[in-house]
Amino acid sequence: MTDQQPDRPETESTASRPVPADEARAPQQSSGPSSNLVLKSALLWGGLLALAIAVVASVVGGLVAGGVGVVSALIGTAMAVVYLGITAASILLANRFTASDLFVGIFFGIVLGAWLVKFVLFIVVAILLKGQPWVNPQVMFLTMIVGVIGSLVVDVVVVLRSRMPYASDTRLPGGR
Amino acid sequence: MDATSVVAAISGNIATVGYGLAAIGPAIGIGIVVGKTIESIARQPELAGRLQVLMWIGIAFTEALALIGIATYFIFVS
Repeated sequence: MTDQQPDRPETESTASRPVPADEARAPQQSSGPSSNLVLKSALLWGGLLALAIAVVASVVGGLVAGGVGVVSALIGTAMAVVYLGITAASILLANRFTASDLFVGIFFGIVLGAWLVKFVLFIVVAILLKGQPWVNPQVMFLTMIVGVIGSLVVDVVVVLRSRMPYASDTRLPGGR
Repeated sequence: MDATSVVAAISGNIATVGYGLAAIGPAIGIGIVVGKTIESIARQPELAGRLQVLMWIGIAFTEALALIGIATYFIFVS
């Protein structure tokens, strides 16, 4: 009851605040935090690297273990790249909620939740693939390690080559 | 008294213990990475984009170690 002030003239509250109209438009104009471009670029280059690793590992796996080696190399590459790409994808997904008042909670909920679910799925996949006759564990393990290290190298290179301005997410009162 | 007397024994698959050990490091690492990112964004919200990228790189390195640790399941339990 104390916050109601009926004696305040209505024209004062509207005339002295020309900004809210711009502020209300600002979240719709902004396309999320400035990290989106870097993450999308990393996903793109990670996918290209996955293709390259899949080809090379399939050839090597085929030479080592025949058709089983090819299948194992493809599965290993997919596991490494998909599981490392889920992090960037989850950040991109979470950044869609920038305008929300609960953005920090939503962001870390999505990113860390995806991280947790990813590891549970990884363990389940490992258990399911274990002992299958059409999987060569050595080829899959080595391919996975190569894929993981290759993804890390691509991520670091993308970040080093990206140009992100300082104070890039500043929102000025004018609505910019 | 035998100096190497067994006071405790495990039966079953020792790889489970390996997974537990492989989970400790990444859990601590992710906690530090995300906690520091929250601190930093709270201090300087205008740097959120850059901090997200740095957090992502930190998470990538942390989880890479965990993935390799869990993937050793394929090798050591064959």
